[in-house]
Amino acid sequence: MSIRIARGLIALAALGAGVAACSRGSDTRPDTQAGAPSAAAKDDKITIAVIAKSSTNPVFLAARTGAEAAAKDLSAKHNITVEVLWLTPPQEDGQVQAQRIQQAVNDGADAILISCSDAGKVNGAINDAVDRGVAVMTFDSDAPQSKRFAYYGVDDLKTGQSTMAELAKLMNGKGKVAILAGNQNAPNLQRRVQGAKDEAAKYPGIQVVGAFNHIETPQDAAAEVVRVNNAYPDVRGWAMIGGWALFTQTLLTDLDPARIKVVAVDALPAELAYIEKGITPVLLAQPVYQWGYVGVQTIVDKLHFKKDVPQIIPMELVRVSKENLGEWARQLKAWGFNDVAASYLKM
Amino acid sequence: MHGFLRRLVGSQETGLVLVVVLVTLVLTLLAGTHADRRTGEIVNNFWNSFTLIQTATDASFFAIMAIGATVVIISGGIDLSVGSIYALAGVTMALVLRGAGPMSDGTTVLLGLATCVGVGLLCGLLNGALVVGLRVHPFIITLGTMWMLRGIAFVATKAESILVPPSLTAVAKASLGLGGGLYPVPMLCMLVLAILGTIYLTRTVMGRHIFAFGGNLEASRFAGLSLARIQLGVFAVSGLMAGIAAFLGASFYGSTSSGDAQGYELYVIASAVVGGASLIGGKGSALGAMLGALLIVLIRQSIRTLHFDANYEWIVIGCAIIIAVVVDQWSTRVTAKRLSRAADAPRAAA
Repeated sequence: MSIRIARGLIALAALGAGVAACSRGSDTRPDTQAGAPSAAAKDDKITIAVIAKSSTNPVFLAARTGAEAAAKDLSAKHNITVEVLWLTPPQEDGQVQAQRIQQAVNDGADAILISCSDAGKVNGAINDAVDRGVAVMTFDSDAPQSKRFAYYGVDDLKTGQSTMAELAKLMNGKGKVAILAGNQNAPNLQRRVQGAKDEAAKYPGIQVVGAFNHIETPQDAAAEVVRVNNAYPDVRGWAMIGGWALFTQTLLTDLDPARIKVVAVDALPAELAYIEKGITPVLLAQPVYQWGYVGVQTIVDKLHFKKDVPQIIPMELVRVSKENLGEWARQLKAWGFNDVAASYLKM
Repeated sequence: MHGFLRRLVGSQETGLVLVVVLVTLVLTLLAGTHADRRTGEIVNNFWNSFTLIQTATDASFFAIMAIGATVVIISGGIDLSVGSIYALAGVTMALVLRGAGPMSDGTTVLLGLATCVGVGLLCGLLNGALVVGLRVHPFIITLGTMWMLRGIAFVATKAESILVPPSLTAVAKASLGLGGGLYPVPMLCMLVLAILGTIYLTRTVMGRHIFAFGGNLEASRFAGLSLARIQLGVFAVSGLMAGIAAFLGASFYGSTSSGDAQGYELYVIASAVVGGASLIGGKGSALGAMLGALLIVLIRQSIRTLHFDANYEWIVIGCAIIIAVVVDQWSTRVTAKRLSRAADAPRAAA
């Protein structure tokens, strides 16, 4: 008996120690205390749970920075308290996102801002949240069949088309190309791939050898590019509908700019070297910081100012090339990216 | 009566229940409160019906698979393919129901359940047949089928996320009179399956054979047990449980895809191990697996409820698993020493 109790207590102590070891610094903690009513119920406080696809993807970390900046700005500007709770799972999982939505509602959040890993999986949870009085807005990847009040993001079909159109222009409308396609289950990426294929069909000289899926980590994506290049030595262009592979440095040496051209979506600090070297003459940047900033702003407009907001808020892509590299680098720096190379900032 | 109480208090599950209760108490005390949006009533952030049922629901999918995995682990094997069986069973159900077209709600639910259970059972039997037939360690076989089965699911769906008919969701999300927003069905299924699993393992001949097989293979062979049948049986049970979990998961969340339950096999095995199953076989229980899953989900929930940095989740879970196993081994050694001393005492007295 004593052993069993000791086991229980040790496990509990371990749990306590583990939890105590956790940093509180980077997460916003609501100022609710045991026994005290939550301020979430007050009109001048808005708690927004942000649930992106994965906390290991740098684009969502930028969105988090944007959301937290918007919360700070709006709190100061309108004399209200806007609070952001980061509930993003460590890796992509629609089921875990649905659980996080339920948890946010149970914890008394006023609104949820979510990028859906799998719309089908989160539709029910979003509808339940809305039925329980919590406003839900989507960004990046939508759940159009749910009761969310608004979506902010790019038109994915158009993004795929633009990526392939830029690549076709660089290749003078002829040659074999491959599409780097990310997670095969993500509906927004599937639409981008479709857009890229549709656009390629407009160029008789362009031949798509395939759309290649991979785990959405920089290393896996870069390895896939190398594998495909070895398997298809005559590939002359890559349409990357996400920037994963360019978050590594390895392709700076593995890709020959004289032989292969790349056009990719996203333009984060790690990718800028590819523009400089000429491997990726064009990056189509999603202003990912704005996912968080505009998302929080829109929610505050709706909940606090009772404004009507459009159901679809389109995000425009920014074309980044050598001509505006310095300007874009400074923009990234201003959005909180600390890893922008100083040489680009001086351009 | 005294003996029963002694066994109850000294059982592995009692220790786990104690830990679960203590974690629940700590969370309740530290969680803080908020005003309910609809009623304005002040509610505890953790100790409220929504969060408690949500926590149990989150655990139920792991727990049901962990009950099956525990049966395999007791036999001295391992099943790494449960997540893939979950995904394949779910997408097969969705494809079958889509192909079958509109049907009555009852027929839809029965066909969906039969498909999931059938696919799960078949996959389990395949694992068992390969382990027995090829005489290859279950780790290797199920590592292979983990990829194969997910690949089949991927090819079959062409990476599409398929919605399941609303009648399935209506069953999995039935409030059973508790009111809107409360969905106790997965939790109840978990409890029922844990009880059935306990009866299977402790009150049936097959259950006893599994413990014997995992505890001492040579003795089982000399005792004339059908070893192939036992191995086939444990993998069939594991597949069956993954099929049931897939039915509940796909129905509850309303859609299914080939990417479902990716990496869940590790949570499932962790639940079984935290629940007291020994990876060398011969030890474990269905109730322990359920409690192990609950404890892991509670640890995850505590990080969220107390608003700690979620990035530390994996570190905390990893530490908890290692500590649980180390403490378990330590207690086994202490118990063995105590028994040995007790056995030596009469001899010394003589």
